[in-house]
Amino acid sequence: MLEVEKLGKTFKLPRRAKAGGKTGGVDPRQEGRSFHALREVSFKVEAGEILGLLGPNGAGKTTLLRTLSTAIAPTRGTARFDGVDIREEPRRVRQRIGFLSGSTGLYGRLTPREMVSYYGRLHGVPAAELPARVDALFAELEMQSYADKRNDDLSTGMKQKVSIARTLVHDPDIIILDEPTSGLDVHAAAGILAMIEGLRRTEKTVLFSTHHMHEVERLCDRVVLIDVGIKVFEGSVAEMREAGGDEALDRAFLGLLGKGQGATLRKGAA
Amino acid sequence: MRGISAVWIVARKEFVEMIRDRKTLFFMLVLPVVIIPVLGNVVVDFTLDVAKEEATKTLEYAVFDDAGEPEVEAAIGRAPAFAKVEIGSREAISAAIAADEIDFALVIPEIDRATEPLTVELHFDNARQTSSVSKRVHGALAGYGEQLRDAKLAEVGATTAEARELLLEPMAVVERGTATAREVAGEVAGGILPYIFIMFALLGALYPAIDLGAGEKERGTLETLLLAPIRRRDIVLGKFLVIFGAGVVSATLVVITITVWIAAKMESVGGGAGELLSTIGPLDMVLAWVVVLPITAVFAAILLSISIYAKSFKEAQSYSAPLQIFAILPAMAPMLPGVELGWGTALIPVTNVSLAIKEIIKGTIDPMMLVVIIASSSVIAGVLLGLCTWWFSREEVLFRQ
Ligand SMILES: Nc1ncnc2c1ncn2[C@@H]1O[C@H](COP(=O)(O)OP(=O)(O)OP(=O)(O)O)[C@@H](O)[C@H]1O
Ligand SMILES: [Mg+2]
Repeated sequence: MLEVEKLGKTFKLPRRAKAGGKTGGVDPRQEGRSFHALREVSFKVEAGEILGLLGPNGAGKTTLLRTLSTAIAPTRGTARFDGVDIREEPRRVRQRIGFLSGSTGLYGRLTPREMVSYYGRLHGVPAAELPARVDALFAELEMQSYADKRNDDLSTGMKQKVSIARTLVHDPDIIILDEPTSGLDVHAAAGILAMIEGLRRTEKTVLFSTHHMHEVERLCDRVVLIDVGIKVFEGSVAEMREAGGDEALDRAFLGLLGKGQGATLRKGAA
Repeated sequence: MRGISAVWIVARKEFVEMIRDRKTLFFMLVLPVVIIPVLGNVVVDFTLDVAKEEATKTLEYAVFDDAGEPEVEAAIGRAPAFAKVEIGSREAISAAIAADEIDFALVIPEIDRATEPLTVELHFDNARQTSSVSKRVHGALAGYGEQLRDAKLAEVGATTAEARELLLEPMAVVERGTATAREVAGEVAGGILPYIFIMFALLGALYPAIDLGAGEKERGTLETLLLAPIRRRDIVLGKFLVIFGAGVVSATLVVITITVWIAAKMESVGGGAGELLSTIGPLDMVLAWVVVLPITAVFAAILLSISIYAKSFKEAQSYSAPLQIFAILPAMAPMLPGVELGWGTALIPVTNVSLAIKEIIKGTIDPMMLVVIIASSSVIAGVLLGLCTWWFSREEVLFRQ
């Protein structure tokens, strides 16, 4: 189970960025050189649940997922995975997390087997169990035919599978996925979605961000919607339709954004 | 996970990746082994060839004799490889030399035999450094000059060799150099060798460093690596060891290559130069190699810091360019006249190592100073490695916008 408690993240901006945001317009999150990318976000994900993290570009999804995965430290608040605090024991948290993002790459001069084994070792998979574990993963993902070719020589779909195997090699309890299908063709994306669906059966906790509403409909038990660093909605997909006032999820999404706290903030700043 | 094994896991993977990179292998293994013998041979052989060519080629000349001294021309004619050429007038001498029609001209002005010595003006292109005209003309005329001198000496009654000696050189300043042949050789070799060693230590570490730092960002592997449940310090150490190792391999190969090359060249060069080269022994090279180690560690730590800050290979390359200058200029210190190892220069990083290598080659290194230089370079390397670890844990560095 994951409990996120009033999590906040403020970036210190470089001096040159002081006046105005990147767009030149006023960003309601900016205060001098401080940029409040996340403000007191709280929610819970139960074991065996798949939670979709939604929000427009720049909403703070990546920032939230990076903070939860301990790549960056929260400024305020905290989060706990089955009681293990991300601030207090980041390394124990990492042991249990599998992380994959759309921009994750591979070591081109290693083979899938070497790369996945490397991450297995880094995560402390016992040396005696590692080869069998890697073999089993490769069999499951149907990767045996290219397990010993260089990553550089693989197709995008094959590479994506290597990334999946890398994410799962240490059998994590919590899987965090940041737009895992971005930039993939339908076929490669389907592989990722199948993996997420497979995780549901294994009682893992899954947290993934996406811009694709069909993925939400197909996979998510619940969704959290954030805008300008603020949580504007949390609930089931059905509740999202209701609150957003539309049967079509994308319109419900826009509806929620329009009446959310983020919209008010934006109007106030403009 | 225990620290040591985490460092080892990272280092092993980085090593495998590194040795599969052609560019790195080229800079680390091929360049140091190939470039020294190739460049060295080209320079040495070219120098020897030019000298030989200059000494044997036929020199064409013109003579304008106003003093009626046919013996001068006859002496030149007897010497090997001279050929007389007619040119218009003595006013045309400079033009003829510039146009390569003649190599030199002799002008013998009219003199009063009773009071003036015989003068032979040698016109030649004195801007040509390799020119042997002057030497060869002096050589050709030496015999006739001595003949004239002996005749004069006989006139004043000095007939024995001793009497002549006494008359010609009543006082002699005799030089007795206190430097050993090794010091003389070291002064020359010690200027260039430290620069080569230090350059290759840097060059060998450069590409792996860019790949191991900026490469992680460019490929999008950094974020997942950071999520491994090991300490950042262990990641840094693992990467550092491989980069450092690459620099050491490159420096080692260049030291070995130079040692072997010197040994091989000694025989073929022969003579004085060969003797000078032979005074630099393999043990000095080993000691020089030891001094290069800590400075290689310094380079590795700085390069890794730069590289992890950069967002791409390109950025890393342009950020590390200044380091190459800052490393290479101080390494060239021993080539400057008057710059010597002392307690002042011993405190300047890179320069101290460079000067120490020179002293080692000359055989005049102060052991105390050597220890201090190795120790201080090691401390600097350690501090930089610590800074690199701190740097590697900063979000502003790892997730630069
Ligand atoms: N290291 C950083 N320094 C300063 N600002 C940052 C940093 N990282 C993110 N931001 C800012 O925080 C905001 C949220 O960014 P984030 O990447 O979390 O959004 P996102 O929801 O993932 O967007 P997208 O859908 O485009 O991926 C953006 O305005 C971004 O510019
Ligand atoms: Mg994002």
